Amino acid sequence: MDTALTHTPARPSNRRTFKRLLGFLAPYKLSLALSVVLAIAAQAIQIAVVLLSGMAIGAIRNGHRHQLWALLAIIAAAAVVKAALMVARRFIAGNQALGVEYDLRMRIYSKLVRLPFSFYDRHQTGQLMSRATVDLTAVRFFLGYGLIFFAQHLLTIVGVTAVMLVLNWRLALVSLAVTPLIVAVAYVYSRVSHPLLRDVQQKMADVATSAEENITGVHVVKAFAQEDAEAGRFAERNERLFGRSVQANRQRALFVPFLSFVPLLAQGGVLLYGGWLVIQGQLAFQWFVSFTFLLLMLIFPLRMLGMWIGQAQRATAAGERIFEIVDEPEAIAEPENARELPRGPGEVRFEGVSFSYSSDDRMVLDGIDLVLEPGRTVALIGQTGSGKTTLASLVPRFYDVSRGRVLVDGVDVRRLRLSSLRKQVGVIAQDPFLFSASVRENIAFGTPEASDHEVEKAARLAQAHEFIHDLPDGYETEVGERGVTLSGGQRQRLAIARALITDPRVLVLDDATASVDATTEALIRSGLREAVRGRTTIVIAHRLSTIALADEIVVLESGKIAARGSHEELLSTSAIYRDIYEHGLVEQEMAGRLEEHAGTEPPSGNGSR
Amino acid sequence: MRVWQGGGRTFANVSNERVQDWSWQRTMRRVRVLTRLVAPYKSKAALAIVSLLAATLSGLVPPYLAKLAIDRGIAQGNERVLVEIVAVFAAAGLINWVTSYAQTYYTGWVGERVLADLRRTLFKHLQRLPLGFYERNRTGVIVSRMTNDVEALDELVTDGISTLVQATLTLTGSAALLFVLDWRLALATLTVVPLMLAATALFRVYSARAYLAVRERLGHVSGTLAEDIGGMRVVQAYTRERERERNFARVNEHYREANHRTVIYNGLYFPFVDALSGAASVIVLGYGGWLVFHGQATIGTLVAFFGYLSNFFDPIQQLSQLFSTFVSATAALDKIMGVLETEPDVVDSPRARELLDGIAGRMHFEHVRFRYRPDLPEVMHGLELDVPAGTTVALVGHTGAGKSTIAKLLARFYDPTEGRITLDGIDLRDLKQRSLRSRLGIVPQEGFLFAGTVRDNIAFARPDATNQEVEAAARAVGALGFIEQLENGFDTQLGERGARLSVGQRQLVAFARALVADPRILILDEATSSVDISTERTIERALRVLLADRTAFVIAHRLSTIRHADLIVVLEHGRVVEQGKHDELLARRGFYTSLYTDPVVAAG
Repeated sequence: MDTALTHTPARPSNRRTFKRLLGFLAPYKLSLALSVVLAIAAQAIQIAVVLLSGMAIGAIRNGHRHQLWALLAIIAAAAVVKAALMVARRFIAGNQALGVEYDLRMRIYSKLVRLPFSFYDRHQTGQLMSRATVDLTAVRFFLGYGLIFFAQHLLTIVGVTAVMLVLNWRLALVSLAVTPLIVAVAYVYSRVSHPLLRDVQQKMADVATSAEENITGVHVVKAFAQEDAEAGRFAERNERLFGRSVQANRQRALFVPFLSFVPLLAQGGVLLYGGWLVIQGQLAFQWFVSFTFLLLMLIFPLRMLGMWIGQAQRATAAGERIFEIVDEPEAIAEPENARELPRGPGEVRFEGVSFSYSSDDRMVLDGIDLVLEPGRTVALIGQTGSGKTTLASLVPRFYDVSRGRVLVDGVDVRRLRLSSLRKQVGVIAQDPFLFSASVRENIAFGTPEASDHEVEKAARLAQAHEFIHDLPDGYETEVGERGVTLSGGQRQRLAIARALITDPRVLVLDDATASVDATTEALIRSGLREAVRGRTTIVIAHRLSTIALADEIVVLESGKIAARGSHEELLSTSAIYRDIYEHGLVEQEMAGRLEEHAGTEPPSGNGSR
Repeated sequence: MRVWQGGGRTFANVSNERVQDWSWQRTMRRVRVLTRLVAPYKSKAALAIVSLLAATLSGLVPPYLAKLAIDRGIAQGNERVLVEIVAVFAAAGLINWVTSYAQTYYTGWVGERVLADLRRTLFKHLQRLPLGFYERNRTGVIVSRMTNDVEALDELVTDGISTLVQATLTLTGSAALLFVLDWRLALATLTVVPLMLAATALFRVYSARAYLAVRERLGHVSGTLAEDIGGMRVVQAYTRERERERNFARVNEHYREANHRTVIYNGLYFPFVDALSGAASVIVLGYGGWLVFHGQATIGTLVAFFGYLSNFFDPIQQLSQLFSTFVSATAALDKIMGVLETEPDVVDSPRARELLDGIAGRMHFEHVRFRYRPDLPEVMHGLELDVPAGTTVALVGHTGAGKSTIAKLLARFYDPTEGRITLDGIDLRDLKQRSLRSRLGIVPQEGFLFAGTVRDNIAFARPDATNQEVEAAARAVGALGFIEQLENGFDTQLGERGARLSVGQRQLVAFARALVADPRILILDEATSSVDISTERTIERALRVLLADRTAFVIAHRLSTIRHADLIVVLEHGRVVEQGKHDELLARRGFYTSLYTDPVVAAG
């Protein structure tokens, strides 16, 4: 079970959630009404058919031939009409169910698209997915099908009961005596089985996870000769699953056959008491037969009624989890009079900026004053957690400052249209995310209308053209989940191309060369050197070689600017910087030589020079 | 093809629901596999069968009793007979209840037990299979043997078989009873059955196809959703919200369209079946009525006919549903059997012996040639390498040069095709695998951690290690600091649902794990991803602790590791092209130097 979203206020009442869920049916009022009418008509015909069948048996018993033929003609006609009504209802209700499902899914998606970065910091993909799939299924099943069936079953029960009471109230009471028991038992079963079945599912997932983990980590298991121990651990989980499954199975064995047994008792009762009434001449034989059939009609709806009550509760719980997403505040919103970013050189200014991720949290940034001159490159350095990434994220307004303001070309970012701002701020993240699409589509992600020429130009600028060219389908090669697997360095360069194609004024590079080997880093760096020309650039880097791209270095420490200046200045003034520098020396020794070679001919690969 | 790289988590592939081989031989093999699984639980299985038969038969009785009650009791005005028959009716119901309970319980028990055993057998077998198997098959595919395929079998074993028996018995039993009651009326009524069968067969074919499309498109919906949630930051950074929303609406609409077809099929089929049962009742009343008028049938027979008719429609639908379950379960069983029939190829020879304690750790590759499979090209062409005990060897070279292969051969995940590898002069093939590996530590590239506590992970190689030993190892590699800051210290849960460690922290835990194992020989695949400077320093320090006094092979990526190695071995195309110390190799300005300046190759 996943944890509640953090922004949830007090638990809303079930009834309110249920009402809100019903709101999703509002656009389908007409088809809803129509399906209910059709369902009522079909059920009425069904009851009529049962009564007519009883009358037919009566006619047979009394030898009324003509009456029998007439009754049969009516029954046949009624069956056809009923089938037609059922087809119509299923078509109408089915489409409505699909519509509700579609709407629900779109509602969640539109919300997800609008939720801010801070929301995604707090929630893992899997958790959100489970709400958008598992919970959605519970809700749409209930809204789409459950309610209509529920109504239909309820109608059947009420209708049949009424007819029975009219025919013979004493016999009716005998046969209906067990009905509350059926509903109650079915309801209890639905209540108690659900948590148990969910637990079985959970245990099954545990077993699967354990298997998956061992298969993925098989080399570790084998390397340390731990096969037996792992098999033992797996067996333990496996047994736990077995135990729970058997428990669930025993529960099923207890309830399900009992639910078939109870109606049989009622049938026996009708047979006995009804038969006695017939013998006593207090009940016409035909109605006795009708009674038997009517009772058969009741059993299924009665059992389902109990189930549906359980379903409704589940759907309400699932609905609550969905509404938690739907009600999440969209923290980053444009003001009414949001304006376009005016033309400008790309000056970025932080004025007294403080930031914390939530109001009670510690300050991640604490009173930052910093001006980034247009066209210059600034390297942000500092330990993990010193606030580098956060500071850079404020420029494209992924987060809003807690205090102070961030200005791009003199305008507070909060007063700008988001699309206008973000188009001018290119971001290259630490671990770039690529979509399951072609290389071209990934590069042109921000500007789908870009021409082939522009895509290629951006790729060349990012030093990505060569390797893209070597891919099986060049720019049309599918990458991502279902496509070709790219190396970290290649993904990086695609991300750089993706950022450059919009020709942004400001570029944010977050540790962009962290996960590649030295040679690839050299390649990327020579691409970057081109890219940063004429743009205001913020580089977050750990390696000295990347820092060397910068005109100025800003050292952050616990959310404050600890030092800033050129390389030479910082060497003498900043201990942190000296530390980084000394460590990086070894690396730089190679890196320097690397860059010299990066442009020249690669050595021949035979290794015997 | 690097062994110790955790395979990516792949989406469980949609199981291919086609059975390749329906031959008698194969079928008997399948049956044998299943019988062998059930064999240990004979008595419970017998109980299941007996109760199943009893439940089904007792379920057939009530309509017949209703007929008797009407004909002998009500029609004759005989109250005593009526009471007696109703008593039998109730007794039959009671028997049905009790036997159904037993049936549900025992079939479920045996089914679950068989599945649990199958999972355990499969798991044990998978653990015995060599790494070659894991390299040939994608992780996702192997995992789905343990999950999807076992679950497909689950449906058959726990529910399918008993439904099959019950439905078949009910069907034939009811038919038999109808004929016993009145064969003419039975023939007349059963004319609707062929229609029902035809409609059901058609419906199955079409709706199966429609549902396949629905599943596929739903998969697409979930895939898109998962990807967009994962990449939401990029979507927002490039303000593509509206486009992605349109795209999702399209995918969602596609799914709706596919689903629309199932609405149509369901909407036609079920009312049709309903109309057919109406037709059957009309036949019973019409023809039955005619028979009664002519004194050839009783009213009770007609009522009983109504009771048995419903016994026809439900089982036919159940059986047709079962067919697809049966096919996919058979396909799953075949795939599972395929794994169980794969035999491990590296096995201990009968004369294999235990390693003595106190080995020195000198490793010698003597003219080693190797290919992964006979049909694949040779990857190691007569490797000669002598590593004195206690030496740290840095293996350097391009991807595919043979670094990982050396490591795999050392751990004897494979045997050389030619030549031999000796440890202190003993051929690895003459050693028990278990004995060899207990002297060997392997640290994979991205420290792979298992779900479990930090302590479990560090003590992985020696579950009996004391707390002191675990802590000492953590301290030695510099991991104690962050572990103590975790929520529950050494008892913090890691993995899937546990705390997330950073790359550097995972590395350190993996180092501590190797240190607890205290191997004579260590194989280490260095991580390529860089970490922040203080972590980098900790890792370097930890490495020094870990490598001291051991024979160590490091697939090196860090310059500092390479520089401090006792011996650098430069590999190219399965051969040693240069070896020596850092300064010597640099001075030579040969391949070693060029290796780091060749952008094209290293970028792969």
